[in-house]
Amino acid sequence: MEKTLTYESAYNELARIADEIENESVSVDVLAQKVKRASELITFCQTKLKSTEAEVNKIIAQMENAGPKQ
Amino acid sequence: MSAIQHIRLSELSNQITDTLRAAFGMTSFWVIADITNHSFRGQKNYHYFELVEKDPDSNNILARIAGKAWGNGADRIANFEKVTGQQFTNNIHVLVNVSVQYHPVHGLQLNIQDIDPHFTLGVLEQQRQATLGRLVTENPEFIRKSGDQYITRNNQWKLNRVIQQIAVISSNTSAGGEDFKHTLLNNPFGYIFQIDEYHTAVQGENNAEAFVAKLIAVFNAAKPYDVVVITRGGGAQTDFLIFDNYKIGKAVAKFPIPVITGIGHQKNETITDLMAHTQTKTPTKAAEFIIAHNKKYEEEMLAFQQNIVIRSQQLFSSNFQSLASLNSLIVNKARDILIQHKDNVVRINQVSINTSKSILFKHRSSLVNISSRILSKPESILYRKKNDIRQLVSHFNVFKIQYFKNQQGSLNHYRSMIRMMSPDNILNKGFAIVKVNDQVTGNPDDIRIGNDIDIILSGFEIRSTVKQKTKYDGKDFNL
Repeated sequence: MEKTLTYESAYNELARIADEIENESVSVDVLAQKVKRASELITFCQTKLKSTEAEVNKIIAQMENAGPKQ
Repeated sequence: MSAIQHIRLSELSNQITDTLRAAFGMTSFWVIADITNHSFRGQKNYHYFELVEKDPDSNNILARIAGKAWGNGADRIANFEKVTGQQFTNNIHVLVNVSVQYHPVHGLQLNIQDIDPHFTLGVLEQQRQATLGRLVTENPEFIRKSGDQYITRNNQWKLNRVIQQIAVISSNTSAGGEDFKHTLLNNPFGYIFQIDEYHTAVQGENNAEAFVAKLIAVFNAAKPYDVVVITRGGGAQTDFLIFDNYKIGKAVAKFPIPVITGIGHQKNETITDLMAHTQTKTPTKAAEFIIAHNKKYEEEMLAFQQNIVIRSQQLFSSNFQSLASLNSLIVNKARDILIQHKDNVVRINQVSINTSKSILFKHRSSLVNISSRILSKPESILYRKKNDIRQLVSHFNVFKIQYFKNQQGSLNHYRSMIRMMSPDNILNKGFAIVKVNDQVTGNPDDIRIGNDIDIILSGFEIRSTVKQKTKYDGKDFNL
């Protein structure tokens, strides 16, 4: 996967592939390639989302444990 | 036992009582005084207060005697309030009818018999109003009056979101200052404050200059104070006169840091209160105000925090959902597409099998058809051609005989014609051939008179000379 891939661009690409597949504008020649790419993108997005969520939860926990401000 | 002659205190007290009763017992006096330190016990209808007289120039207290009003006196006070609309309270200038009493325990007291409602406004209040008027007139750039409110530069400042750096002006012995500090530092929310104390006397009008100097010291400290708090513990009402001072009021109104007052009094508001950013009744209340202000900020922050938590959770769940739905959509659709294409392939396969069979069959039958036509046609063509040739041959035979006959006939005709036209025949019929210079001629112009000419006639040649040549128009030979 590209180093520069962002969640936003990955998600957009995924949505585009889903659109193409839904409209059946994907030729069988590239279907496997598209589905493979889609699965990569989904894995990427989920990983990214989970790590971000974990990070955010950690930050939130810190916020909640910080107590009254100094 | 001491040898010195003495009496008991109560004996002295009784003597004073007797003396005073003898001097004042049966009389009463109309006196003009100001009321301070007033309190009222509603259920008993008792008024307690002090009557004071002040030097009109310096405001220093010239006389002070405790006073009370019970029974009839209290009823007269109620009447006074009803008539004037003015509460019997501190800082009013009154004309009261009093009797003098002395009590061994409570001391000297003036007992109010009557009050003149026409003395409604006390000198203190008049002075206060005059000072307020002067503040507004002389300082229009930072004090103005709007309705009952005074709009000052100080009370137009916006408080910082969090108040932490505080300058406190109080007397160094003030219980009020301690109350303030204690309340702030022991706040239940764990807020931390940085408090700088500026001590000055906060009573006695002659200390006003020192008080203003303290305010200036706060300013000159050049610290990022969020607020300046002026505190003063409880005490007799007259002790607050300093806060009605013109210079202090002006300095507070103009001060560039919001001023919070916590001047321990329950019954009136001083000019300093009116000029300040926020007035509270006591030092403790001032501290509570600051804590509440910070608490409000913290609650806003907590609300933000909670919002962020909730929003981010919503965001995650919606993102997970949309990912999952995209995922299942792609999986299902891809499967659908494959199935559909597979079906298409099967159908096309079926179609091509069937179609190719029928195409083959069609081609085969048309081939048979063509070959049968090819096989049958030449025979008949050849037959026809042979027939034609035979016919031609027979025609030839017929026409050949006829032709020869015709040719023979025309030959015979020409022979007889030629025979008839031969010169022998013609000469025999009396015609002659004329030759000039051994040349046959038919043209009379070749023949001149004197010329020799040869005439050939029926087997003889006759030589003659032309004697005469004339035109002949005979029609002997016109057939």
